[in-house]
Amino acid sequence: MELSAYAQGGWRLLGDPRRFPRRPYAALLRAAFRSLLHHPQSGLDDPDLKDIDPMVLKHCHAAAATCILEAGKQKADISAISTCLEDCKLDKERIEQFCTEYQKNKDALEILLGSIGRSPLHITDVSWRLEYQIKSNQLHKTYQPSYLVTLNVENSDSGSHPDVSFSCTMEQLQDLVGKLKDAAKSLERATQM
Amino acid sequence: MLLVLSEEQKAHLGCLPRVGAAGKLNVGVDTIQRGVEGLTYLLTESSKLMISEIDFQDSIHVLGFSDELNKLLLQLYLDNRKEIRSILSELAPKLPSYHNLEWRLDVQLASRSLRQQIKPAVTMKLHLNQNEDQIAQVLQTDPSTLLHLIQQLEQALGEMKTNHCRRIVRNMK
Repeated sequence: MELSAYAQGGWRLLGDPRRFPRRPYAALLRAAFRSLLHHPQSGLDDPDLKDIDPMVLKHCHAAAATCILEAGKQKADISAISTCLEDCKLDKERIEQFCTEYQKNKDALEILLGSIGRSPLHITDVSWRLEYQIKSNQLHKTYQPSYLVTLNVENSDSGSHPDVSFSCTMEQLQDLVGKLKDAAKSLERATQM
Repeated sequence: MLLVLSEEQKAHLGCLPRVGAAGKLNVGVDTIQRGVEGLTYLLTESSKLMISEIDFQDSIHVLGFSDELNKLLLQLYLDNRKEIRSILSELAPKLPSYHNLEWRLDVQLASRSLRQQIKPAVTMKLHLNQNEDQIAQVLQTDPSTLLHLIQQLEQALGEMKTNHCRRIVRNMK
C-alpha cells in the first residue's frame, strides 16, 4: 500500500510527538474516521485539537483520510498498513492505535466505498394496480383486466428518478414474472457453484 | 341497442344505392365522399358499440335500402367488426405497455473505489411500446429485491382469481 508524498509528509507530522502529543493524535484519528463515515461536514473542532496549528491540522487530517481510504480500497490487511506507516516513521504504539480504529470502522468503510460508482438505474420496489376496463370514449364493452406496474427506481448519482411505469395484460405480466423467476433460478444455481 | 343516424348521415348513405346500381361512377366526387363518410360512420359506430346483428339490421332499416343491400351491409359489419375494434382500441389513452424483458446475471468484482468485491446483480432490459415507438430501459436490481419483485407480482397475478374479481367480471358482462 503506497501513499503520496503529501500524505506521507502529513503522517510524519502525525508521528512527531512534539507536533502531535498523544491526546491530539487520538482525537485526529477519531475525527478523520468520523468525517469520512458519519458526518462529512464535521469540522476538526475537538477540544483536544485546539492547540495544533491549523495548517498542520489540515495537512494531517488529509493524510489520515488518504490512508484510511487507500487501505479500504485495497482491502489492506494490518501488516500492509503497518509497513506503510512505519515508512513514515510512526512508532509502534501510534500504528497500533490507527489499526485498532481502522478495524472498528472497516465494515462501514467497505460499504461506503462499494456504493460509490456508476450503475444502471436500480430498482428498489414495485407497485401494481389491477383494473377492469369497461369502456372508453372510442370503444365500448371492452371488458378486460389490465395491470399497471410501477417500478420504483433510484439513480446511483442523484438518488431519485422518475419511476418506470407500464401497463400490461395478464398474459404479459405472466411472461414478465416467468422471466424474473428464470433469473432468480439462475442466481440460485450460480450461488451453489 | 339501436344506432341512431342523423338526417345528414341518412342523406349521405342514401346515395349508396345509386352508385351501386349505376355500376359506373356518374355521380359527383362530393357525393362519393359523403357516401364513404356515411359508411365509415355506420361501421365505426356499430363496431364501437358492439351492436348485435338484429340491432344493426333495425338501425339501417330506416334508410330504406333493398334487402340485398341490407344483407351486404350486415355482412360488411360482421366481417370487419373485430379489426375495427382493434384499431379503435389503439386510440384510447394509455401508458407505455410491456413488450419484453431481457436479463443478465452480473457479479461486480472491483470498482475504482473498492477492489476485491463480490457483488451479484441482475441487469435487465425492459422493452416497452409507446405509441408505435419501442423504448428499452436498462435497469438493475440486487438478488433480494428480485425475489421481492417476484413475490409482489405473483400476488398481483393471483388477484384475478379471487372471488371478488370473479364476481365483478361475471356481473359486468
